[in-house]
Amino acid sequence: MRKPSDIPFVQDSSCFFVAWIGMLMVFLATLTCALAMITYSSVQSWHKDIAGSLTVQIPSYDKEGNSRKDVLQSDIETALTIIRSSDGVIGANPLNDNQMDQLMAPWLGDHVVTSELPLPKIIDVVIDTENLPDLAQIKADLAEQVPLAVLDSHRVALADLIKLAHNIIKLIGGILILLLISMAFSIMFVTKSGLKVHHATIALIHMMGAGDFYITRQFANRSFKIAFIGSFIGFLLALPIMMMFAYYLNNLTGSFILGTALTHQQWGILASLPFISGILAYLTAFKTVLTELKRSL
Amino acid sequence: MFEGNKLSSPIAEFNGVSFRYGTGTDILKDIQLTLDPGSFHFMTGESGAGKTSLLGLLYMNHLPTKGRVRLFGKAVDTLSRADKAQIRRQIGVVFQDYRLLSHLNAFDNVALPLRIAGVKETEIKRHVSELLAWVGLEKQIKAFPDELSGGEKQRIAIARAVINRPQLLIADEPTGNVDDAMAKRLLYLFLELNKLGTTIVIATHNQNLIKHFGFVQLHLSHGHIQYINQEKQSKHFQQGETA
Repeated sequence: MRKPSDIPFVQDSSCFFVAWIGMLMVFLATLTCALAMITYSSVQSWHKDIAGSLTVQIPSYDKEGNSRKDVLQSDIETALTIIRSSDGVIGANPLNDNQMDQLMAPWLGDHVVTSELPLPKIIDVVIDTENLPDLAQIKADLAEQVPLAVLDSHRVALADLIKLAHNIIKLIGGILILLLISMAFSIMFVTKSGLKVHHATIALIHMMGAGDFYITRQFANRSFKIAFIGSFIGFLLALPIMMMFAYYLNNLTGSFILGTALTHQQWGILASLPFISGILAYLTAFKTVLTELKRSL
Repeated sequence: MFEGNKLSSPIAEFNGVSFRYGTGTDILKDIQLTLDPGSFHFMTGESGAGKTSLLGLLYMNHLPTKGRVRLFGKAVDTLSRADKAQIRRQIGVVFQDYRLLSHLNAFDNVALPLRIAGVKETEIKRHVSELLAWVGLEKQIKAFPDELSGGEKQRIAIARAVINRPQLLIADEPTGNVDDAMAKRLLYLFLELNKLGTTIVIATHNQNLIKHFGFVQLHLSHGHIQYINQEKQSKHFQQGETA
């Protein structure tokens, strides 16, 4: 025989408000979490693109075709000073003639002496991928002091994107926290309303010797059940939207957004959201009921 | 006073207890009362004399405005919430308005105190079925309160109050909606519990029952309490009259 609840929750429509809250919150949380995960995966792939080193080119000839041999060495020294003084730069060295010959060999052949060609001088910069240098600042400093120097601009843009992505992830984290707080407050008010609705029943059960935990557990279990069901529906509703969004991103940007396919671990995190919502509802209801009961006789 | 199962300390003691609702006048005034273990009392008095209030003090529905109430040897104003719950599990209450839970059927209403006490479902099923049969409601086991008559509800309320064999049974007009035959049958049920050691206090206007059973009357009048029939009851039980 199934044990019925002592408290007539079925007569209290405010309970179902918890389901709606759970559904809405988990729907939004699933989408924002997925967005954070996609952003994170993309950041990881962008990190790989800018990992290791980048280059700074200093032309040997100016735009009119005049040799800059007299100022080239001082430009290189100035550029090296700027680059090496930047936080996040592990090392910076100009490529010597042999290294240049090896670099150009695939295009020009093994026997070409590159020092006799109008090729730019290249500075190889090794960067710390865990602590990316401020490439925009380096670029600005170079533009001011070595105007013809060219910093690898694609990598500069990627570094900016990574910073932006990190900020987006932080923003999403903040939104998630706000969602959780909103949900907790909503459940608290619904639970308080439920306590008023069921006041007579609670008083009767108390009079029969029910402890606070006995009553509290019934509210908390109910809150978990209702919130979980609503949250699970919210999760299911978010899935087609996520799939549409991923499809749109893939078609729109090709391989630029590389993280649209979530990993199993990331799916696991998303699938746990209804449980997290249920647990939050349980704990909020538990704390609310216990606090309120302690104020009564 | 019946003292067949006397324990070391009284079940309930009222020392100079007064009570009023809010800022009103005192309903109970300077009550001195002792309920010994295994005693059986009728409580009488005009409507509004304070019977329900006194019973309310006995099951800790409210606290006295003056004086001290001790239950099972403990002052109720100093009890922790856990202790209150533990003491309340030893008290059965039959309310005048039954207070059955409308969303639960007869079985689940009666089973409620056992579930609160954490009794196993198999035990609950056996005990509740037996008791419902005893009060003549075995066929209404799945009926909801809205489907029952006043007398049937009253019997469910009584069954709920006695199901866990409380040490103190408090009943407010428990026979108000049943005929005399059923009233006596229910009183015999209370008497059986009393023989097992339960202290019983019944508020009633039914003079037939009072005369038939002849227990001590706690008569409330103008907020004061007086004992009636005290010697008669002792004699009654010394002669060994039971159900």
